[in-house]
Amino acid sequence: MSTLLARINAELKGDRAIWAIFAILAILSILAVYSSTGTLAYRERGGNTESYLFKHAVILSAGILLAYLAHLLHYMKFSRWAPFLLLASIPLLFLTIAIGPEINDARRWIQIPYVGLTFQTSDFAKLALIIYVARAISSKQEYIKDFNSAFLPIIVPILIICALIAPADLSTAMLLFLVCILMMFIGRVAVKYILLLFLLGLCVFAALILLHELMPDIIRVETWVSRWSEFTDPSTDGGYQVQQAKIAIANGGAIGLGPGNSIQRNFLPASYSDFIYAIICEEYGVLGGSVIIGLYVLLFFRTTRLVTKSSKAFGAMLAMGLSLSLVLQAFVNIAVSVNLLPVTGLTLPMLSMGGTSLLFTCMAFGIILSVSKFFESETE
Amino acid sequence: MEIKNEILYRVYILLFAVVIPAAVVLIYQTIYITYAEGGKWRKKGKELYIATRPVEPERGNILAKDGSLLATSIPYFDIYMDPNSTGMSEKDFMDNLDSLAHCIATYVDNTFTPGGFREFLLDRRRAGDRYVLIKRKVSYAERKFIEQFPLFNLGRNRGGFIVEKRSERKRPFGLLAQRTIGYTGREDAKPIGVEGTFDEYLGGQPGKELMIQVDRTNDIWIPLEDLSLVEPKTGDDVVMTIDINMQDATQEALLRAMNYHDAEWGTAVVMEVKTGAIRAIANLGRTDSGWWETFNYAIGTSVEPGSTFKTASMMAMMEDGFIKLSDTIQIDRGTTEFFEQTMVDASPFSAKIDSTTVRHAFEISSNVGMAKLVTKYYGQKERINKNEGAARFIQRLKDFNLHLPTGIEVGGEGNPYIKEAYSKEDQWSGTTLPWMAIGYELQLTPLQLLTFYNAIANGGTLVKPYVVQEIQRFGETIRTFKPTILKRKIASAKTISMMHELLDSVVTRGTAYKLRTDEYNFAGKTGTAQVGYRRTSEGKTFIRGYQASFVGYFPSEAPMYSIIVVINKPRRGGYYGSDVAGPVFREITDYIYRTQVKLHAPLNQQPKPALAGQQLPASSSGTRADVLKVLDYLKLPRYGNPASEVVALRAQTDSLMVLDRSLTAKNVVPNVTGLGLRDALYVLENRGLRVEVDGYGKVARQSLLPGTRAQGQTIKLFLQ
Repeated sequence: MSTLLARINAELKGDRAIWAIFAILAILSILAVYSSTGTLAYRERGGNTESYLFKHAVILSAGILLAYLAHLLHYMKFSRWAPFLLLASIPLLFLTIAIGPEINDARRWIQIPYVGLTFQTSDFAKLALIIYVARAISSKQEYIKDFNSAFLPIIVPILIICALIAPADLSTAMLLFLVCILMMFIGRVAVKYILLLFLLGLCVFAALILLHELMPDIIRVETWVSRWSEFTDPSTDGGYQVQQAKIAIANGGAIGLGPGNSIQRNFLPASYSDFIYAIICEEYGVLGGSVIIGLYVLLFFRTTRLVTKSSKAFGAMLAMGLSLSLVLQAFVNIAVSVNLLPVTGLTLPMLSMGGTSLLFTCMAFGIILSVSKFFESETE
Repeated sequence: MEIKNEILYRVYILLFAVVIPAAVVLIYQTIYITYAEGGKWRKKGKELYIATRPVEPERGNILAKDGSLLATSIPYFDIYMDPNSTGMSEKDFMDNLDSLAHCIATYVDNTFTPGGFREFLLDRRRAGDRYVLIKRKVSYAERKFIEQFPLFNLGRNRGGFIVEKRSERKRPFGLLAQRTIGYTGREDAKPIGVEGTFDEYLGGQPGKELMIQVDRTNDIWIPLEDLSLVEPKTGDDVVMTIDINMQDATQEALLRAMNYHDAEWGTAVVMEVKTGAIRAIANLGRTDSGWWETFNYAIGTSVEPGSTFKTASMMAMMEDGFIKLSDTIQIDRGTTEFFEQTMVDASPFSAKIDSTTVRHAFEISSNVGMAKLVTKYYGQKERINKNEGAARFIQRLKDFNLHLPTGIEVGGEGNPYIKEAYSKEDQWSGTTLPWMAIGYELQLTPLQLLTFYNAIANGGTLVKPYVVQEIQRFGETIRTFKPTILKRKIASAKTISMMHELLDSVVTRGTAYKLRTDEYNFAGKTGTAQVGYRRTSEGKTFIRGYQASFVGYFPSEAPMYSIIVVINKPRRGGYYGSDVAGPVFREITDYIYRTQVKLHAPLNQQPKPALAGQQLPASSSGTRADVLKVLDYLKLPRYGNPASEVVALRAQTDSLMVLDRSLTAKNVVPNVTGLGLRDALYVLENRGLRVEVDGYGKVARQSLLPGTRAQGQTIKLFLQ
């Protein structure tokens, strides 16, 4: 056992705390997915609860392998790849809008030919954009406060990518936009420009609504509007899903009903993805929910420590951006479950039963770990 | 380092101003929901009283032998609306209310105007109702249509659209064998017939479904999701032995007789001799509106059989070797007394006869004769011990299994009643034995009596009657019910063959004489039993009515079916078995005879030619191998086996002669007329000739005469 641990210790370089967070989240995801897929498995797989768990475990294993491989790579490689990744993501996003299969009324996925796997192109674009923005910010540090030479080259790709994601998946686009703005904030971009961006964001949002009036088939706004009205309409009490989620949280009490004892998973649609936090609270109580939130805060805190150590700005910016994207998405997802935000459809990173988006999450962890690993070796 | 510090400074702003406060807010909100609002949500969670409820599976079908549907479940749907569905927003409701009301009033229910429905639905929503009936008993197509209505098209949760699937049991053939097919599910009656007995198979396995209780006082539950947790397992199909056409003929014949004779009840059963499979079973009882399948008389009613039981008495005496058919007995012109009780023959044949043979007494169904014979051989008082006297007679009846129910799968079988010899409990008296001899003071169901006669028809092998031959699941047989032999031999072969002779002569010379037909032979016994009779102490008998019966089998040479017809209390058109029940028997046998070709004697038994000249194969000539292959395949008799490559056929009276079709030497044009084109081409081109063809069919003419020297010329063939 001790030799195994020693071996793991030798293999896994980088921030041990982030590794630990990654491992704990992976284990929790297995438990949570097993609990919440009970009804889904009954319905679609004739009661074979394990089939979903198995699928999840396979993807998770692939993800862990991916994270391990990514952490072996020197993060600077990503800096070199960034422009190409970004350029590649633009046609992919176009392709998705044009030919992607419609799943749950939205074209968010693209099918990989011959493999049959669908993956959400926005996941890829998100990763590419964050790497690119990290690179752009770090390379322009000398004149970062300048508008023409720094602000514009950074903001234009952000706007293009977000605009391409927005028609099918507004929540992801908005979240990504926010992550990029925060990265720019950290990267010393002038605060006045950032405020300007917020205004711009609002304008784009208004424009989207207008576009929807013109092209109702392409721009997906109805879902969003109905979710918003459900969120604000006091008579519906947040809508069916939110009510069920709240019942789940209330059922949990301080320490929860115990693993596998969730009642509400039967009534919560998408309990395995959008509302998995409510199921975690039901089974593990306020305690379990707080631990989850705490883990994400800890992840962010460990990433900030990387900045203090950093000798190169790119690594720090990259880790910050990825970590921000994970943490913010987690918080938005949890905020939906506790009815602080309208239903968005964003998953809880690492924890929700996921297809390929889980792989990108693991990839993000791998890159953060790569940064931490090389920072350690550089400071030594 | 200034840059790094500014970055760090900004990261900490983010950490302390955004991330940590956000986390605190989320944890706070979680706690708030759990504790501050907790009571409210937990109460709501319980209010939504949800439970796993069983889902009724689809019931299996009951099929006739040929697959005709005897009983099936027709699904239909009840449509409800939940105007306070949890997912329904006020906006959705108000936006769609007008158009929904319009759709309902136009397409579903025009007893209200659209405005009326609008008011109604609005009222129900305000009143907090969760379960409003829209329409009952709609078909699948209608349901799909209604599902498209505005608001409803948002589904169960947002649109409040509730569909409940129900089903109705239908019997496409109506009255046919209705009582034997049976029913279940009526609360006031226990399940009967095959539906009852095979409920375990037909019923399937209930599924599980999450349901939510929307109305506690009326205990109304609606499904929470569109799909069940565990899908119910559809019931298996039960295939009966019933032949639907034979059943129809039997039922028709019985109904006609019931009408004609204005009888109380009647039954007719057709049983396959070798297997005991019931091919038809009709039961008709009087109701205010004609005759209906009200009770399974054949299986459930134990009655005194009367004269049809004399067969058993005769068989007992034969088996004991007491009598020969030619023995003489006194029949005293049809009237005698046993212990001051008068016994009278029912038929008028014996009125002028003092004594006759055993055979004749049976043929004319003489009560006096039969009773005297039985009392003579089994009534000796001095031989009272276990195996002698009446005990021996009773033992014989038990040998024939007449004391046991048949054990048919359909429930509610009546028990036979055969008194124990000299038993006080059974009120055995001096008159018991003579009256038992002629079928009184004992009870049998019509089916039990038929089973006995069937054993006689089956050479003494007693088979159990059965009505279900297999269980199917989605068309695949999963269980087969084989015929059951209850007793290999109920009597010796000699006794059985004497009984065959006796039952034959009942039809050819006896009480059933007028039922006979030239077309086929059948055997049987008439019965005219008194029912509701009362014997007074003065020895007089009051009769309230008669029960006419006929039981037998056909064709008598090689019995295929045994049939019993019993008609209780005919009120007009006679009461003799041969007048009332016999004609029904004949209608059934006529039907079977007409529809079963294998029962008919061949029309022309002379040897006939294998093929007439004009029936020769289309190609009467051909290459040898081809012709022989065809003839052998068709198994046509042939002789002759010439060595030539082309042969011809000639029809003889009983076979085909294969002839050498000489095509002469290699360098000479052969005669190819009568050949098929393929063979002609083969032969001609082999000789170096070029062939032109006109028309189709066989070669009718050829341009070069046979025998012409073949030098590579062109030959033209005219086909026809």
